[in-house]
Amino acid sequence: MVDHRHEKLISLSMLAVLSIFAFLALFPVLSLLVASLSPATDLMRHGLSPELFFSKFDFQNYVAIFTTEAGDRYWDWYLNSVIVSSILIALSLLFSSMVGYALAMYEFPGKRIIFILVLLVMMIPFEIMMLPLFQLVITLGLVDTYFGTVLPLLVAPVAVFFFRQYSLGLPREVMEAARVDGCTEFGIFFRIMVPLMLPSFAAMAIFQGLISWNNFLWPLLVLRSNDMFTLPIGLATLLTPYGNNYQILFAGALLSIVPIVILFLCFQRFFIAGLTSGSVKG
Amino acid sequence: MTLFSQTGQAKREPQTKVRYSFLYSRKIAPYLFISPFIISILILYLYPFISAVKMSFERVLPGQVFFVGLDNYERVFNPVFFRALQNTSVYVLLTVVILTVIPLILALMLNHRLTRFSNFFRAAIFIPALTSVVVAGTVFRLIFGESDQALANQFLSLFGASALDWRYGSATAMFLMVAMASWRWMGVNIIYFLAALQTVNKDLEEASQMDGANAWQRFRYVTLPAIKPIIVFLVTISIINGFRMFEESYVLWETSSPGYIGLTVVRYIYQQGIRNNDMGFGAAVGIILLLIIFIVSMIQLYATGAFKRED
Amino acid sequence: MNKSILAFAASAVALTAPQIVMAESDPTTLTFWTFQQAHATFFEDATERWNEANPNRAIDMNAEVYPYDQMHSNLLLALQSGRGAPDLADIEIRQISNYLQGDVPLVPLNDVVEPVLDDMVKSRFDIYSKDGSYYGVDYHVGASVMYYNEEIMDQAGVDIDSIETWDDYAAAGEQVVENTDAVMTTFESGDIFSFWIMISQQGSDIFGEDGSVTLDNQTNIDTLQFMQDMIYEQEIAVPAPGGDHHSEEFFGYMNNGGAASVMMPMWYMGRFLDNMPDLDGKMQIRPLPRWEEGGNRSAGMGGTGTVVTNQSVDEQLSKDFLAFAKLTEEANIRLWTVLGFDPLRHDVWDSEAVQADNAYYQYFHDDIFDILLDIRDEISGVNITELTPTAQQVIETNTLYSTLRSDSMSAEEALTQAADEIRNRMR
Repeated sequence: MVDHRHEKLISLSMLAVLSIFAFLALFPVLSLLVASLSPATDLMRHGLSPELFFSKFDFQNYVAIFTTEAGDRYWDWYLNSVIVSSILIALSLLFSSMVGYALAMYEFPGKRIIFILVLLVMMIPFEIMMLPLFQLVITLGLVDTYFGTVLPLLVAPVAVFFFRQYSLGLPREVMEAARVDGCTEFGIFFRIMVPLMLPSFAAMAIFQGLISWNNFLWPLLVLRSNDMFTLPIGLATLLTPYGNNYQILFAGALLSIVPIVILFLCFQRFFIAGLTSGSVKG
Repeated sequence: MTLFSQTGQAKREPQTKVRYSFLYSRKIAPYLFISPFIISILILYLYPFISAVKMSFERVLPGQVFFVGLDNYERVFNPVFFRALQNTSVYVLLTVVILTVIPLILALMLNHRLTRFSNFFRAAIFIPALTSVVVAGTVFRLIFGESDQALANQFLSLFGASALDWRYGSATAMFLMVAMASWRWMGVNIIYFLAALQTVNKDLEEASQMDGANAWQRFRYVTLPAIKPIIVFLVTISIINGFRMFEESYVLWETSSPGYIGLTVVRYIYQQGIRNNDMGFGAAVGIILLLIIFIVSMIQLYATGAFKRED
Repeated sequence: MNKSILAFAASAVALTAPQIVMAESDPTTLTFWTFQQAHATFFEDATERWNEANPNRAIDMNAEVYPYDQMHSNLLLALQSGRGAPDLADIEIRQISNYLQGDVPLVPLNDVVEPVLDDMVKSRFDIYSKDGSYYGVDYHVGASVMYYNEEIMDQAGVDIDSIETWDDYAAAGEQVVENTDAVMTTFESGDIFSFWIMISQQGSDIFGEDGSVTLDNQTNIDTLQFMQDMIYEQEIAVPAPGGDHHSEEFFGYMNNGGAASVMMPMWYMGRFLDNMPDLDGKMQIRPLPRWEEGGNRSAGMGGTGTVVTNQSVDEQLSKDFLAFAKLTEEANIRLWTVLGFDPLRHDVWDSEAVQADNAYYQYFHDDIFDILLDIRDEISGVNITELTPTAQQVIETNTLYSTLRSDSMSAEEALTQAADEIRNRMR
């Protein structure tokens, strides 16, 4: 049948186009894998040459990352990234879930203003306020600290929207019942509603975690010392000359994305829910 | 022990009721819920924003601050700033077009009933979004090395083209920055479009097919209106993110890009404000940037009819 | 007066009563920031010797290496905010003026510098001084020389000792390009050294002694045009791969015999040893070609001063250690033997220890210090002003790029534009 052949053609050409884009997306990741298994100094000198894809693998870089002093330093950065991301996830989720919940479940004067405020925060680029904020952090003595690093990300308007949207679907009759039982408003939220909101917490934890894990400009300003660096800042120092730790750069860059990729493959659903939340209309 | 604490509790209880009665108040509770957030906004946004405006009229020296009127603003409009603005504008234009049109087409394909392995493709194209820009920069620098042996140059040589100094020409530099951003964000935007495509009315689509509408017409009159809000959203976000660009440039050229080919407005703020320690000037550039973003966003929202919709 | 008596008394006490203090003195932790791994290693090595010699004032050295830009801006911010600065830090010559404005947050080193100043190349201390106070101790003199790859030069049929002037050099370049696969030299387009050396050699500079901008004077225009012509007219030179002479791309290129010569200061020797192993034994050091009869054959270039910050936990200890690590004879010999630098103390240049065979002599042949002594009076310094960091930035990002790398401007256009931009910042 003509129609059938026509469909087959469409199906195949779409497959071809998608394959090309999937290849373009995955190829740099594959290149990084190859690079991490190639002699580091040669890479910096001559770039990544096609032959390396077919040459024998060399595990030197991975040996270096687990045995050298520079490698120890890399794992310090790793730990810092984990700590910074954890602090950020905990604080920003707490703050934004409370706001999102309040906006969904209560009627109170000033509600609209809060909304507009959240919208404005979304529109004003952080970079405009970067310099005064930096001065503030210096004054408060928060330079080179974990807390100083997470500070600007604590305000998470996207998360507020997401939690509000999610809270709209929470059962109000449970609230009333709890009040009758003498539960405080906070008790209702933390003991009853938060457990019901767990999927939204998972989505936002991943969303905020991803932002924090890859955050660059602000930590670049705030973090001063090698043992406080997060992964992106530490890895960036290896890109410059004088460093001579290229081995750590390539193996380290690859290892830095491994946990996230694993998380993604396991919890795709939450990733997608978290990312698309930005588009929900207020 | 138990006795002790019991008596303690018994003593405290009536007091607690009086002192913490607001915990039960439905009027006060919402304000308590939002207060940490509001306080953070005041400290982390409002205060810095006001100081940024104030700072832009000052010369900030260690320990000394002078009011200099419009001096900083007068200095902003110099050739280097215009170069930064030009680079940034080209970057915004290219990323906006690339990061809306291509993801839309790919999302339509992924959503098509004839597409197989849709989940695999979606995941594959999404994976770059998980990398940090430093990782992306490292890989791109390796692939686009200036040596003849580097991958990109070897690829060019297949077509008989000569090797390029990717990181030293203005056109190739722009290509690298746009390619890096596109690589990282393509998958995310596809997810947005896929989410939006689920809202398209299936019945309407079928009905129009019955009426003999062709694929283009179905897209134009059924699908497009349904996903228009998400297009407006993505364009707005891409414009703002484009004007904020710093990292792609930083990882390609750490200290300063040759001939300003990679200079962006935010990078100019960083360079002047932090590196040259001229905070007042940096703040002035920031305020100008804010105005530009505001105007461009307004024009874009007006042009796409976003305002009409709201009314 | 009183102070020095006190210091003497203190050191006398310290000397006579080591066994009492030794038992319980914990080492003092000193932090040192640098942007050069080699410098960090040098200080760690000095710490070991210091601790052997001064067990009662032991130091626990915490040397931190950061990228150039990051280290300088972080140091500046830490000093200005009064918090988070290290005890000791390296400040590169082009950045030093940022730190000498207003109230200087560094500790004057006069009491350790002045006693030995006569044995030193004094101009290297003037760079890091203000109002009679010395704030920094450099690592080297920075005499610029030409590094020739003799193998390539022989192949081209050029005797390197016959190159007297820059015209000879350009003529030799023609021969190199004709007879070999290499080019004559590379010029930095993303760093300032190639250009600065060549103008400094002729007594010219970016700024005049009075601080005025001289960047667009005729000498500088002619010099930059000469460089540009070598690349695009004669085609005997190329812009350095990677943009400067410190990038891996350049190391790879040079190591593979890409260029027959390169012009850099003496301190660059270490880069050859560390990064270009294949050129071992092939390289020869010679004075620079002259621009005119009787002209200079070198120029003092680059430098990094180690400073003591006013946030140091123990200023006196930091100063004494710095003097021990960089001002003593032993230290200056080590600056040569460990780092391959031309040390500041000229009284060690012909000492036995310096003349003794080492890796540098093996790599570059054994006439290094003869050449240095020969050109000693031809090493002019540079003028550093408050605007040096700005000028550096303008020249590196734009001027050299548009002339040497993209060939989109003439030397005159580019230098006039740059000079105007710098003058614009002066108002």
